Amino acid sequence: MVGDFREFLSTMKSKLSEFWTIYKTNTFGMIGLFMLMIFVLLAVLADFIAPYGEWEMLVGRPFEPPSIRHLFGTDELGRDVFSLVIYGTRVSLVIGITAALLSTIIGGVVGLIAGYFGGIVDDVLMRITEAFLVVPAIVLMIILAAILGPSFINMIIVIAIVTWSPIARVIRSQVLVVKELPYVEAAKAVGCSDFYIIFKHILPNVTPLLFANMILQVSNAILAEAALSFLGLGDPHHTSWGMILHYAHGSGALAAGYWWYVLPPGICILLLVLAFVFIGYALDEIVNPRLRRR
Amino acid sequence: MGLREYAIRRGIETIATFFILITIGFFLFRVMPGDPTAILILNPHLDPKARQLLRQQLGLDQPLYMQYFYFIKNFIMGEFGYSYHNGRPVLELILGVRLLNTVILVGTSVILAIIIGVVIGALAALRRGTRVDVGLIAFSLVFYSMPVFWLGMILLMMFAVYWGLFPLGGTVSATLRHQKIVEVITDYLWHMTLPLTALTLIQIGYNFLIVRNTIIDILMEDYVTTARAKGLPERVVLYKHILRNAMLPLTTIVALQLAGIFTGAVLTETVFSWEGLGRLLYEAVDSRDYPVLQGLFAIITIAFLIANYIADILYAFLDPRVRYK
Repeated sequence: MVGDFREFLSTMKSKLSEFWTIYKTNTFGMIGLFMLMIFVLLAVLADFIAPYGEWEMLVGRPFEPPSIRHLFGTDELGRDVFSLVIYGTRVSLVIGITAALLSTIIGGVVGLIAGYFGGIVDDVLMRITEAFLVVPAIVLMIILAAILGPSFINMIIVIAIVTWSPIARVIRSQVLVVKELPYVEAAKAVGCSDFYIIFKHILPNVTPLLFANMILQVSNAILAEAALSFLGLGDPHHTSWGMILHYAHGSGALAAGYWWYVLPPGICILLLVLAFVFIGYALDEIVNPRLRRR
Repeated sequence: MGLREYAIRRGIETIATFFILITIGFFLFRVMPGDPTAILILNPHLDPKARQLLRQQLGLDQPLYMQYFYFIKNFIMGEFGYSYHNGRPVLELILGVRLLNTVILVGTSVILAIIIGVVIGALAALRRGTRVDVGLIAFSLVFYSMPVFWLGMILLMMFAVYWGLFPLGGTVSATLRHQKIVEVITDYLWHMTLPLTALTLIQIGYNFLIVRNTIIDILMEDYVTTARAKGLPERVVLYKHILRNAMLPLTTIVALQLAGIFTGAVLTETVFSWEGLGRLLYEAVDSRDYPVLQGLFAIITIAFLIANYIADILYAFLDPRVRYK
């Protein structure tokens, strides 16, 4: 038993180092990873980096332009925008990653079951997938968010519910290919259970694709979180970049031309999304055999 | 499978999807906090008997399956009741100027984004690896990763607040009444410029990447080599052999993206106070106007199902390979 586990660990280790050797050569992938690491550091060390607390009001006059004391100026409540942006990193990262994880799990399970079992199961699951694919995400997202109410957890659930469908489609078509492989047929002939075959033979074959899709999904989730918060449906207890833009829009900072309040949160969203897009495409190039020939 | 059978099969599938969406809608609007009469209890003068009567009228005293049946009936007949907010019929509120405004904004931006996407995509693919190509890729990735509402805010701040070239929002100027039709159109286009720019720029990045990659693939195809070997002028090869084949995947992808583009439109309309469906949706959620929300859900669902169906059939017509899958 222990030996099995050791063996598993060492194969994992060699697989990972092999993967890392390929990944290292991808310039965009490395740039994305570097950008992501900076944001992770900002999020983890927010309490040390941010000069003021998230809820410290009137640390300056309202709408102060940038200065040495307030790098990005202040908002309508006299809060330090620089500190808000630093704290906002946490919400965007945590919601982005957990929502993407949840949506990948839902999409992965639906795709695996639909692709493996086929027939009526496939028909029903694909119709449900199509339903979520056809309706604009924002419609379901706004209605769901309004029903569930604004909270951190609800945001994650709502984003996962509206974003899982493309993953289900991708995984299903991959499963359809893997299912036809000789050793899967052999496993079936020997009498292995469906559950065993799915976990032991199908899942390992779609895991790399699932992982690459999850990374790309994080960028969608970050944008979705920003959109919901911008519309005022975010959790008011946690400052996120989208919410800073919501306040900027609502407080008239935009019409007054207070650029320091509007630029930084948007640039942060852009850079974090870009980081995940870079990493995602680098992974896709490695795991997606169709792209390798280019 | 012939085109007719394919169209019928996809039609049945679309109807199945429609019923799934109705069911989702039913559960969404039934679990909404309180039933539709709850908002009326806020009125202290309403006596319990009147509420009971209202529940009867709305069919809320019926068993759940009957409510479901009524929900489907109203969904199909377009009976969504009256707005809590201004008392107007929901259908009239949706199918009017607001729908027109959204269709004009989204339609124009989709067409513009396709044209620009094809042009710069072809340019980059034909000069693969050059500075032009790398520059265009960087440009498209940046716009692809940008929240559309933020881009809108930046455009608004630059062109409306600082330079005063365009209005701060709205669809037509309030002062414009009983003017010549030309002036009204000019004013409308003037108001539309900034939201249109934001919504188009966001789509270009995606279209560009699709066209560029498709053309790079096509350039390696044998028929392109053959066309060139035949001594056809490069212009003919580009238009007849390369671009024509590159348009195909783009058509489907744009059709698939339509839902995503609408999402962008809702956000853009919010930033620019554009009087469209997106803004109506935002306002309906803001004031918890459930009849309007329900009506919007129904109309948008039906519209996108039909659009998706048409796109599918069109694609099968253009590319017969799809039908044999």
